[in-house]
Amino acid sequence: MTSVAADLTEVRSAAELIQFGLARRVRPVEGSEYRRLLDRYRGELRFKDVVDTMAEGLGLEVLGTPRAGIVLVPEPGGPFATRLGDLRTMDQQEKLVFGLVLVGIAAYAYPNDVDFDDPETRLIEVTAIEEFLRTAVAAADLGDVEDRARAAAEIYADLPALVLTNTGRRARGCTLRAVEEVCAWLVGQGAAREATSLGPDTFHLTDHFRLLVADSAGTAALDALRSVRRDAATGAQA
Amino acid sequence: MPGSIGAAPQAPVVATASPAADASARARWRSLVLTDPISRLVRNAAHAGILGVDDGRYDLRRLALAAIDVVVGQMGFAREATLDDVLDALARLAARMFPERPDEWPAVAQTVLKGLLNDAHDNRRFTYHFADVSDSGTARWEPYSFRLLSLRDTEFGPVLVASDQAITLFLHGLDVDLEDADRALAHVLQRQLEDRRFAAAARTAAQAERTSVGLSATLAELLDATRRDVTSTDWTADLPDRLTRARRHVEERIAEDDRFLEHVQGGLDSEVSPEVRAVSGQIVDLLGRAKQVHLDLEKRLVGARDVFLAAQVRQRIGRRRRLRMLNLAEDVLEPVLALPVTDALEVTERFAERALGVTVPRLARFDDLVESLWAAPRAPEPDAPPEEVDDVPADTDDVQGYPAEVVEAARSVLARADAGVPLSELLGTDTSDEVAELVALSALWAFAPDPGDEEADGSDVGFLAAGLVAVPTGATITAGAFHGPDLRLTRVGAAPDPAPRLEDDE
Repeated sequence: MTSVAADLTEVRSAAELIQFGLARRVRPVEGSEYRRLLDRYRGELRFKDVVDTMAEGLGLEVLGTPRAGIVLVPEPGGPFATRLGDLRTMDQQEKLVFGLVLVGIAAYAYPNDVDFDDPETRLIEVTAIEEFLRTAVAAADLGDVEDRARAAAEIYADLPALVLTNTGRRARGCTLRAVEEVCAWLVGQGAAREATSLGPDTFHLTDHFRLLVADSAGTAALDALRSVRRDAATGAQA
Repeated sequence: MPGSIGAAPQAPVVATASPAADASARARWRSLVLTDPISRLVRNAAHAGILGVDDGRYDLRRLALAAIDVVVGQMGFAREATLDDVLDALARLAARMFPERPDEWPAVAQTVLKGLLNDAHDNRRFTYHFADVSDSGTARWEPYSFRLLSLRDTEFGPVLVASDQAITLFLHGLDVDLEDADRALAHVLQRQLEDRRFAAAARTAAQAERTSVGLSATLAELLDATRRDVTSTDWTADLPDRLTRARRHVEERIAEDDRFLEHVQGGLDSEVSPEVRAVSGQIVDLLGRAKQVHLDLEKRLVGARDVFLAAQVRQRIGRRRRLRMLNLAEDVLEPVLALPVTDALEVTERFAERALGVTVPRLARFDDLVESLWAAPRAPEPDAPPEEVDDVPADTDDVQGYPAEVVEAARSVLARADAGVPLSELLGTDTSDEVAELVALSALWAFAPDPGDEEADGSDVGFLAAGLVAVPTGATITAGAFHGPDLRLTRVGAAPDPAPRLEDDE
């Protein structure tokens, strides 16, 4: 960050860009103010500094500026950080499984480091993720992973894949529903989009999700699941 | 599987056809494998539930080519082809191939697109291994990976783009800049007409018509976007430039269309060969349609600025309607209920945002969220915390009650009812308004107590009405602040005790 005083009009523009980033549904279409500001952020170092500094003051960090728009992430404990209270009310087991599915989707979509630089976005299906996780928790070497991750894996393995409600929908208490819920949450976060034209349970992971996972320092559980995924990919190629 | 495998020092060296063939083998092999995903798609169609591919029901190869055409056709423009665009286009083509089974068209479109995205291998790149036999004795295996189509996340949602390989192989370097392509095609067409290569000219004319239609569609899209939201297009610099260029281009094209038509018409009149006459007729038709497209385009261009000005007035300067002027049921709720979900969400979310006020968007950071979800639960408290002693005296004062002196005065007035007295007489005594009100209410309560109103039973009114019996006299109270049937009040039994409670004698 430079220590030069910022022009107030630049500060205003920076605030507008952050506002666009916070409003998940706004898109930087050609000719829009959002696109203009995004291009400025990409091309003008001084403006980038102003935006970054303002974001920092708000408890945010700019993670990247892919085509779909600026990606902001919160500082822990900041006003924009997701708290457990923002998710649906979950018991301990459900929280563990939610976390495991989140890690599982990341491992499934990005098994190799090079995937984080690949602009190709990934399609995932609820059933494929469920099957991958079921296989992975059985095959992965979980000896070194966090206790809670191991507990999550055990719970996941114990849960049935599918339980139906009276109306024929997936009921809570089955892993397919858990995956479905995480996918729906990702959609709400702008980290995924429904790809219903390719199937009812198909989702398209956005650049937002790729950047979130790339930003992660990683956990032993994520490493273990990515390893399983790499092995499976190698086996499929052979 | 890179590296050397199958080393066989004693194996006989395979003689190759020629050094030139060896030199180009890799390139030719790559061209060959680029079509393999489509062959694989056709082979696996039955597994995807698409039957009759070889019996002329669906031409999956043609659909695959069409998918690439649609994708490439949108690349380089502001908005690339979305999944739905491509699936719709493929489903329409499938419908033309086998109209009898509309239920199959979406599945066929999906299968083709998924095949091009390598869905069978989690959308990874297609990978093949080339056997390099240029060295004597051993074969070196080289992996070659490529994509045909891939998904990108954009401001328009997931869009499809074609790889360089797909464009090179399947489109032969088709220029996607519509205006340049149109002009280039015009030159080609002119040369072909001069050379009397009519068959080639017919193909070129057809392509020229397609590019003109594309240019027209692009302009229409921009104008529609302006009508919807004037800020979605850059009317300060970009669009005026594009309009100027397009207008100049169209003016040239209209003039050239006439010249080409005249040229071909001349050939048609003098040509005796039936084949050439037939092809020339086609060219005349195509040029006629292209001219119509250009004329239509010119009309749009002339009115383009008016579209912008009208949209600006409507969206920026126009007075906004105020919400209270709307009939929410007729003007908002009912139309929204009739909308598809996605369109309805646009309205309801905006409405909710305004109605609910400021909400702070919650963002997630991958590690922090996982850490929170996997955090160990808090240990339970060793003992339940002692219950707080409520040392604040209960507030027993009823803020809606009557002051004690008023109650006492009313009690004195009602004491006269022991011998039986009309309410009108009691109200006629010289009392304050509050006392008179309390007496009247007590009489009414005695006449018609509410058995369900527990609170009233313990109130001043309930207390004073205890033991009273009220019977209508037939007269009417008209004087003072009260009006209605008069009641005769009589006390039954003893005077009310200090702990009054009216028993409901239902």
